[in-house]
Amino acid sequence: MPPGRQLRNWLCVAAGLLACNGAISADYEDPEPIVIQDPHYGEVLYYFYQQDYFPAIVRLLAARQQQKLPTHNAEAELLLGGMYLSYGHHLVAAEIFERLLANSVAPDVRDRTWFFLAKIWYQRGYFERSQQALAEIKKDLPADLQREALLLEAQILIDTGEYDLAIARLRNWKGRTEWASYAKFNIGVALVRSGRIDDAAELLDDLGKLDPVNNEMMALRDKANLALGYALLREGQAGAAKASLQRVRLEGPFSSKALLGVGWADVELDNYRGALAPWMELKSRDLLDSAVQESMLAIPYAMAKLEAIGQAADHYLNATEAFREETERLEKTIQSIESGVFFDTFVANNPLDSTGWYWRLETLPDVTESRYLFHLLATHEFQEGLKNYRDLNYLYRNLEAWQSNVDVYANMLETRKEAYAARLPVIEAALERADLAGMVGLKLEFDSTLNNIEASTDWLALASNAEFATWGEITGLEKTPALRAEFPEAVEARDKIGLIKGVLQWRLERAFSDRLWRLRRSLREIGEALVDTQRSRRKIDESMREEPQHFEALGRRVDDLSPRIEAIKMRVEDALSAQRAFLQSIAVRELRVQQQRLDVYSVQARFALAAIYDIAASTGDAPE
Amino acid sequence: MADETMPARSQSQSLDQEVQALKNEVLDLNRDLFLLEEDLLFPANSQVAFFVSLDVGEYFALDSVNVKIDGKEVSNYLYTRREVDALIRGGVHRLHMANLKTGEHELIAVFTGKGPHGRDYRRGATMTFDKGIGSKYVELEITDRVIKQQPEFVIKDWE
Repeated sequence: MPPGRQLRNWLCVAAGLLACNGAISADYEDPEPIVIQDPHYGEVLYYFYQQDYFPAIVRLLAARQQQKLPTHNAEAELLLGGMYLSYGHHLVAAEIFERLLANSVAPDVRDRTWFFLAKIWYQRGYFERSQQALAEIKKDLPADLQREALLLEAQILIDTGEYDLAIARLRNWKGRTEWASYAKFNIGVALVRSGRIDDAAELLDDLGKLDPVNNEMMALRDKANLALGYALLREGQAGAAKASLQRVRLEGPFSSKALLGVGWADVELDNYRGALAPWMELKSRDLLDSAVQESMLAIPYAMAKLEAIGQAADHYLNATEAFREETERLEKTIQSIESGVFFDTFVANNPLDSTGWYWRLETLPDVTESRYLFHLLATHEFQEGLKNYRDLNYLYRNLEAWQSNVDVYANMLETRKEAYAARLPVIEAALERADLAGMVGLKLEFDSTLNNIEASTDWLALASNAEFATWGEITGLEKTPALRAEFPEAVEARDKIGLIKGVLQWRLERAFSDRLWRLRRSLREIGEALVDTQRSRRKIDESMREEPQHFEALGRRVDDLSPRIEAIKMRVEDALSAQRAFLQSIAVRELRVQQQRLDVYSVQARFALAAIYDIAASTGDAPE
Repeated sequence: MADETMPARSQSQSLDQEVQALKNEVLDLNRDLFLLEEDLLFPANSQVAFFVSLDVGEYFALDSVNVKIDGKEVSNYLYTRREVDALIRGGVHRLHMANLKTGEHELIAVFTGKGPHGRDYRRGATMTFDKGIGSKYVELEITDRVIKQQPEFVIKDWE
C-alpha cells in the first residue's frame, strides 16, 4: 500500500475515533474510505461505528490473537487505542498512544489525541498525567482546541493551588472571544485566592459588565459579578460589592447568593431596612439553598437591629422549626442513600446497553433524595464515579451471562467426545476395507503396462472386448488346417480372412493413439483422485491422532475459564460495593455538610432567641 | 481547596485504577471465551462464515437479508437504522456461521429494502460454492451499479 494511502487510512481511522469522541468540528472532511480486506477487521468496525466499544474491542483482540488481520494490523492498533479511550479504559489507551504517537503519525491527529487524553485525566483527577499530556501537544491543534488546552492547563494549576503560575499562563491571553472571557474569569479567581483583590477586581468588573451573546456568557457574567461582590464584601468595600451583586440576574442560578450578598452589603452600610428587601425575596425560595437558609437568620437579625423584637423572635422560631424539619428530611435521605436503595434505583433506571467515557448522567432518578444531590451532577468526581459504577454493572452482567454459557460448553464438549467415540470404530473399519495402498499399486501397474504397450506399439492390447474376441476368432480360423489346402475355396477363404484381419488391424492401429491418450488421461485422473484420497486419508489419520488431544485442550480451556470467571466476578462485586460506597460517601458527605450548616444555624437561632428573651425579661417586656 | 479534596481524589483514583484493571481482565477473559465459543461451536475445518457488506450511496436502503443453505433457511436478519449506518460507513456484519461438510453447497440470499425512488425492493442472489478443508469466508455484497442506476447484489468468496 503506497505511503500516501496509508497516511489517509490512519487519518480516517483516527478521524473516526475523534469524531465519535466529539473532538472534531462538523466541517471536518472525511478522507477517502478504506477498502476492507480482512473481514474480521470489518466486523470490528461494524460494532465500533455503532459505539458498541466492548464487543468491538473483544472482537479485535480475538482477531489479533488468531492473526486474522494481516492487512489492517497497523490501523487496528490505533483503532484499539481509540476504542479503549472511548470505553473509559484510559490507562491502556495512553500506553498504546504513547507507543504509536512516537512514530510518524499526522501531527494534528497526534496533538488531538494528547489533548483528549489530558481532558480525560483531568476529569478523573490524574492532574500530573494531564499536565504531562498537555506538554506533549505541539502547535498542530485547531485554534479553539489550543485555547481550551491552555485553559485546561491553567485550571489544573488553580486546582493544585499554583495560582501565580496560572496567572502567568493566562496573563498574555488577548482577544475578545468566549475563551478569552473564561481565561479572564480564571485569572480573576486565582487573583482572589492569592489575595490580590484589586487586580482581580479590575478583571472581574470588566467581565461583570460584558454584553453577553449567549446563555453561557450570561452565566459567566453572573459568576464574575458574584465572585467580585463577595471578594469586595470580605475586603470591607460594601458599596462596590453591592453594585457588583446587583448586576446578577434575578432569574439566574446565582441570584440567591447575590441577593444574600446584597443584604449583607446593606448591613455593612448600616442599612438594615434596605437589607430586608432582598432577604424577604430569598425567604420565599427553596429551603434547600444555603443562601435561603442563611436569610432565615439574617431577617430576624436585621429586625432585631430595627428593634422589631417581636417579629424577630417569630422569625427565629419559624427558622428553628424549618431547620428541624429540613434536618429530619436530610436524615431520612442519608439513611436511604446508606441503605443502597438510591443507587439501586439509579441502576434500574439506566439501561446498560452502552458504556464508555462519553455517557453522562443528565438527570437523577425521580425520587425524594435527588433534590439534595442535584448540584453533585455538575461535579467530575460524581460523574466519573457514576461512569465507573455503570461500567462495573455491565461487567458483572457480562460475567454472569458467560458463567451460564460455560456450563453449557462443558456439556457440549462431553457430547462431542461421546459422538466421536461412537463414530470412531465405524470409520476405522471403513478405512481398513479401503485398501488405498493396493489401489495405488494397481494404478502403478497400469502405468507400467501402458508404458510397455506404448513402447511396443501393441495396438491389440488396447482393443475392445469385441475386437479382441473377433481377432481371436480370426487368428483361430487362420490356424484351421483346412485353410492350408491349395484348392480354390481354401485360397478364397484364406484371402477373405486376411482381408478381415487386415481391416481389423488397420482399425486397431488407427485407434491406437487416441485410445492410448484416453487411457493415459483416465489414469492421470485416477492418479489425482488417489492423491486427493491419500491427502484426505492423511488428514483423517492426523485428525484421529489429534482429536483426543484437541478435546483435552478444549476441556482444559473450559475448565480453566470457569474459576477465572468466578474469581473476576468476585472482584467486580467487591469493586461494585466499593464504588457504591464511594458514591454514597460523596452523597452523604454533601448531605452531612448541609446538615451541619443547618445545625449551626439552628444553634445561632436559639442563641439569638434566648438573647431576645433575656432582654425582654430584663426590661420586663415580653415579646409580642 | 486542594488540601480538602486530596484524600477524596486519591480514593477516587485508587478505585478508578481497580476499575481499569478489572476492565482489562474482563476484556481478556471475553476474548478467550469468544475464541473458545468459536472453536467449540464452529471448528475450523468445517467453518463457513457469511459476511454482509454495503457499498451503497443512493440506490438501496437495506431492511433485511434472508439466507438459505442447501434449501434450508439459516438466517433472517432485520437491520436497525444504526446497523445500516455502520454498514454504510464501512463496517462488515458477520451474518451467519455454519458447519458444512466438504463438497458443493448452494447459497441463496434474498435482500429486502427500498430501491431507487423509494420503491420496495426485493432481490435474490445465488452461489454454488465448494467447501474444502479449513475455514471459508463468503461475502454478500451490495453495491451501486451507477451505469444502470440500480443496486447490485453479489455473493462471492471473500478474497
